[in-house]
Amino acid sequence: MSEMQTQISSAITGLTREFNVIAHNLANVSTVGYKRRYHTFSKTLMNQGAVPAKGTRDEIDLHSILDFSQGSFIETGRSLDFALGGKGFFMLETPDGPLYTRDGKFLMNKDRQIVDSAGRIVAGESGAITLPADVDISQLNVSTDGNITAEGLSVGKFKFVDFKENEATLSAVGFNCFQAPKNIKPELPENLIVKQGYQEGSNVEMVEELVDMVMVTRLYEANMKFLTTGSESTKSLMSVATS
Amino acid sequence: MLRAFSTAATGMSAQQMMVDVTANNLANINTTGFKRSQINFQDLLYLKMRTSGSEIASGIESPSGIEIGSGVRAASTTKVYTAGEVVNTGRNLDIAITGDGFMQVSLPNGDTRYTRDGSLQINSEGQLVTTTGYAIEPAISIPTDTVSLDFGKDGSVNIMTASGTQSSIGNIQLVRFPNPSGLSSEGDNLLAETEASGTSTSGIAGEDGFGAIQAGFLEKSNVQMVTELVNLIAAQRAYEVNSRAIKAGDEMLRNSIQIAR
Repeated sequence: MSEMQTQISSAITGLTREFNVIAHNLANVSTVGYKRRYHTFSKTLMNQGAVPAKGTRDEIDLHSILDFSQGSFIETGRSLDFALGGKGFFMLETPDGPLYTRDGKFLMNKDRQIVDSAGRIVAGESGAITLPADVDISQLNVSTDGNITAEGLSVGKFKFVDFKENEATLSAVGFNCFQAPKNIKPELPENLIVKQGYQEGSNVEMVEELVDMVMVTRLYEANMKFLTTGSESTKSLMSVATS
Repeated sequence: MLRAFSTAATGMSAQQMMVDVTANNLANINTTGFKRSQINFQDLLYLKMRTSGSEIASGIESPSGIEIGSGVRAASTTKVYTAGEVVNTGRNLDIAITGDGFMQVSLPNGDTRYTRDGSLQINSEGQLVTTTGYAIEPAISIPTDTVSLDFGKDGSVNIMTASGTQSSIGNIQLVRFPNPSGLSSEGDNLLAETEASGTSTSGIAGEDGFGAIQAGFLEKSNVQMVTELVNLIAAQRAYEVNSRAIKAGDEMLRNSIQIAR
């Protein structure tokens, strides 16, 4: 295969991956606390004139980076729905170590602990947050800094963490959660507020994704065309040589 | 094949489920004591092609990895227990619970169910029953010579007989659950206790955080038409955009097939 064809085929692989990422973003357009991934492959490719420039093969990689920008606030009125404003995460305690999430749709389990919708315990400043037996969910009041009170009595405080400049090292593990590498320690968040009775919507912008999708499809088409033209010229060269 | 096909398909089926839930909310907009459901989505597992922090060249760690997600799933539906609008009906057997709590209902087979639908009736045996005919628990029998009946704020049932004597013949007891979202909906405005909801604790209306009983009123559903319609439009558009991803993927595949010709 010629150098050109190798480059085109890696462009096609990259575009296919990017397309899969866009489809995943679109599938999660209404997932609470979802953070979109952005991908620079097609943009880099576009700058290089649709076909990857010579010598860039090693760099051809789908850079899919999590975009932690703020999602919109959706009012629900439920007293165990929380939306985070600003940088930071809720922490979930699981047998496999801590997970981080911005999906604040919580429930109370039968042991009266605050859990997420998959039943994982939400971490407070001092372990799990357990509601006293005589307190009802509707009486809960959560201040913007995460202090939970019921009828004036303190119940606990949510534990919030942030990763600041290490944010890019977080990896998504599905079910609205992120995991941090072992060597990265979470820090205390700054300027983080929590809003009770709200959910943070997905930060996927439908229009943006659609535009990207059209671009990926067109670039894919263009690369396929180059490939066909390339093989046509090889064919004619061969026929000249063999005639 | 493109992974995007199945990814977009999970998106479409999730949005379809959202339309189903919204349609049920809208259908019950005038159902007494109905609580709206809300569907919760979660992203699916990721295929990790390269983890972040792995070494790409000697001494150089990759700042970010390659993770490709596989779509979305519906994680749960939760009932939203906010108060519905309380409307005056003037009927003496209509009661609304203004605040927290459920009434207990016993089924013919002896099982207990829970409801907030307070449009009560009296059956042929003089028992206080729900609209469907299930007896309120603890059972309240109304003497045949009763001329007037009213409910106290604490759920007490007070009657006056033909001879003019007033007496209290029982109490409507309220119960509550640690996790009301865990109750299972059984239709007929009834809910059943589950492992997730926890066990019920009973109490007197108007005390210990229980709502008071308001006679002559009914609690309407807490469905807000505008909210549901907005959800419906959002779900419809999201469905459309996911089907668009399938179409675009199809186009890409067609392009690749063409080069083989």
